[in-house]
Amino acid sequence: MHISQFSLRDFRNYQRIDLQLAPGITLFYGPNASGKTSLLEALFYLATTRSPRSRSDHDLVRWDALGEAGVLPFARVAAEVQRRMSHVRLEVLVQRRADEEGQLTNGAQKLVRVDKRPARALDLVGQLRVVLFTPVDLALVDGPPAERRRYIDITLSQLDPRYVRTLAQYQRIAQQRNSMLRAWRERRRPLRGIDDELAYWDQELSQAGGFLLAERLRAVAELNQIVGPLFCAISGETNPLQISYQASLELDDARTAHDLSQRLSEELRRLRQDEVARGQTLIGPHRDDMSFSVAGIDLGRYGSRGQQRSVTLALKLGEAELMQQRSGETPVLLLDDMLSELDTQRRTHLIAAIRRPAQQTLLTATDLGDFGAAFLAEITRMRVEGGQVYPG
Amino acid sequence: MRPESAIIVEPVARLIEELSKLPGIGPKTASRLTFFLLRAEEGQVQALAQALLAMKEQVHFCSRCFNITVAALCPICQDTNRDQSKICVVEEPLDVLAIERTAAYRGLYHVLHGHIAPLEGIYREHLKIDELLARVRSEPVDEVVLAMNPNTEGEATAFLLLRDLVPLGVRVTRPARGLPTGGDLEWADPETLGSAIHGRREL
Repeated sequence: MHISQFSLRDFRNYQRIDLQLAPGITLFYGPNASGKTSLLEALFYLATTRSPRSRSDHDLVRWDALGEAGVLPFARVAAEVQRRMSHVRLEVLVQRRADEEGQLTNGAQKLVRVDKRPARALDLVGQLRVVLFTPVDLALVDGPPAERRRYIDITLSQLDPRYVRTLAQYQRIAQQRNSMLRAWRERRRPLRGIDDELAYWDQELSQAGGFLLAERLRAVAELNQIVGPLFCAISGETNPLQISYQASLELDDARTAHDLSQRLSEELRRLRQDEVARGQTLIGPHRDDMSFSVAGIDLGRYGSRGQQRSVTLALKLGEAELMQQRSGETPVLLLDDMLSELDTQRRTHLIAAIRRPAQQTLLTATDLGDFGAAFLAEITRMRVEGGQVYPG
Repeated sequence: MRPESAIIVEPVARLIEELSKLPGIGPKTASRLTFFLLRAEEGQVQALAQALLAMKEQVHFCSRCFNITVAALCPICQDTNRDQSKICVVEEPLDVLAIERTAAYRGLYHVLHGHIAPLEGIYREHLKIDELLARVRSEPVDEVVLAMNPNTEGEATAFLLLRDLVPLGVRVTRPARGLPTGGDLEWADPETLGSAIHGRREL
């Protein structure tokens, strides 16, 4: 798939831009803080309804956006997405909220439209599929587990609408369940009714959790097929990369959603006292992790910096490949200032990967000197400066 | 105290303060309402004040179903023509109105006044659950309809009720979940469409 048209209004430092994009490679270049990353952020937001950099949506609205008479300031991101057999128009409005005095608050509401029809945010996810690769991702291998869960969740959410919905539901159930466990830990509630009161939440958590686990295990198995050899090609090493899913509970060979739910539910019952003592849900997809190893050596712990970069690059290209295999369409690659972070060998590999036909890639850079003349001759260039984007 | 409250005379300031305690009403709206009332005719203000007091004095919860009422029993509980063998359990009094508007149900109601929500500190003892069980034991009930909202909290409440009701030997049902009338199949969200397909029935 590719984005053919893309417009922003009052998004970050952009007042209003409207761009026509071609398949193939488009390079956005310009000085630091000119808004290159915001372009990729807007597209990631349109694909996932989440910003990769800020937690609160109101940050996305340009700071001096005025709105119109009687309308609170809002940011708008819209794009036309061309798929193999169809096309779709996506639009998200992020509108700031005001308190009763009319002062803007830190709240914001999201309005989503798909082909001009109002839709739920969850229904937007998966319409446009992207793989974002930024310098922050280089911490994927040795960073905190939450980063690795995010990687697999974002990939699967874009591929399967059921995954997004189940994940949202799972998080809600875990929150409710945690607040009950906290109440027991702090002796705010009598302990005697505990099994009865948890029965529903255990059942729902196991059911949603079993589905998420089964999907993640399946994705890891598929990724291993892709990423193993890809890593060898990128790093020049002979042993393939192996991803292992580290579940927070003993899986005992359970692989189907049904069996995994069963396992979760058994373990939840067994851990009752520990969970009450800690006041939180101790097992489930929200506590799982993944590890990366080559020839049995854990790269998170013992890998060199270069190896860790090769892993991240393989994971990101692998993510794109997995999306292609499952859906038959190539996702849009968004590379934020990545080439300057990689050495010559890895850079050559990345450039070869994005040069494939039918692959749309949007990349940012501060310096055109990172690229060879031959490369620059065959791509589209856009100069970014002062909240404007100019061709050439 | 804000500086301007020294300029505004006390009765006006007091009304602004009281009105701004209402949900959805801030100081600005409260001042606008206050000055409107200040200029309004005596009769209109009297009527409003009396309506407020009468509402508070006369309205309370029905002693049987906990719907809002002015008598000991609500109009629905008083109506002997209604099917006394069915109780429809809902979260809020407004849900009773919604179901009544359908004219598809002729039984009785029971209002729980909320749903299970541990995050907000709402557990079964905060709801009228024991009162419902007492009714099922003492009244000639053969069916209980669980009409909670179809979300996590509503489902949690229904789950709890189901477990308590089954041992009492009563039939427990739930409203079907499905497609909105006049809707478009193509645009139904997959979850709703899924449960509609799941709950399909013989024609």
